[in-house]
Amino acid sequence: MFSASTELPQTPIVTVHTTNNRGHTPEEMASLCAAQIVSVSDSAPPVIRDQAREYRNHIESVLAFYMKEAIKSDRTTVCNAIKDAGHPDLAKLIRRL
Amino acid sequence: MAITQAMCTSFKVQLLKGQHNFTNGAHQFKLALFTESATLGATTTNFAGGAGAPNHESSGAGYTTGGANLTNVTPTSSSTTAFTSFSTPLTFSSSTITAAGALIYNTQTNGGSNTTDSVIVLNFGGNKSSNSGDFSIVFPAVNASDAIIRIQ
Repeated sequence: MFSASTELPQTPIVTVHTTNNRGHTPEEMASLCAAQIVSVSDSAPPVIRDQAREYRNHIESVLAFYMKEAIKSDRTTVCNAIKDAGHPDLAKLIRRL
Repeated sequence: MAITQAMCTSFKVQLLKGQHNFTNGAHQFKLALFTESATLGATTTNFAGGAGAPNHESSGAGYTTGGANLTNVTPTSSSTTAFTSFSTPLTFSSSTITAAGALIYNTQTNGGSNTTDSVIVLNFGGNKSSNSGDFSIVFPAVNASDAIIRIQ
């Protein structure tokens, strides 16, 4: 007989992250992203587990840095588009965010 | 009234009939949110929406009935386990939502259109709320041990 298991545990298998009156910060998004790139079991051998966690921390900080750079760059693009559309004051407000 | 996390039994049957295609760009799967008053579980066969009784779908700014589209991750395998998932996170931006669980369903079962066949019921472990912010659902890592849909 062949059997294939497709059952789910009763504990939550997805995580939900919510915010109030703001979006996610680059650091929060970087943390979510790094967890997708590097995952290691709590029961993995300590040497491997610790190394993987250090690597994930490094990836997370690199991701956060580049996300911030991307936001700044996109904001420049948005500000210029708004300024070109004849709203220099609004462009200035967005640049100061 | 309960949301019981499960892979829907009707989905398992349809899977064996080859009616679901998780390849990226193939069938369109969606995720709908529900409040803790909803009744969902392994016996749920189809998405049924609408805020309030009897379906208790979530509602609010940033959310439309039926939920949001998911992006398929093409199935693959590692060792003897086959697995698939969806791009993560799925975010309802600028939203004011409260939800205690979700239903993933296929809108193109067996190559059809506007189908509502259930795939998985997810329980969030309690009410989660956003207020003029992001409501993000993060799927587990896509690997043989953690992916949301695995056949092992």
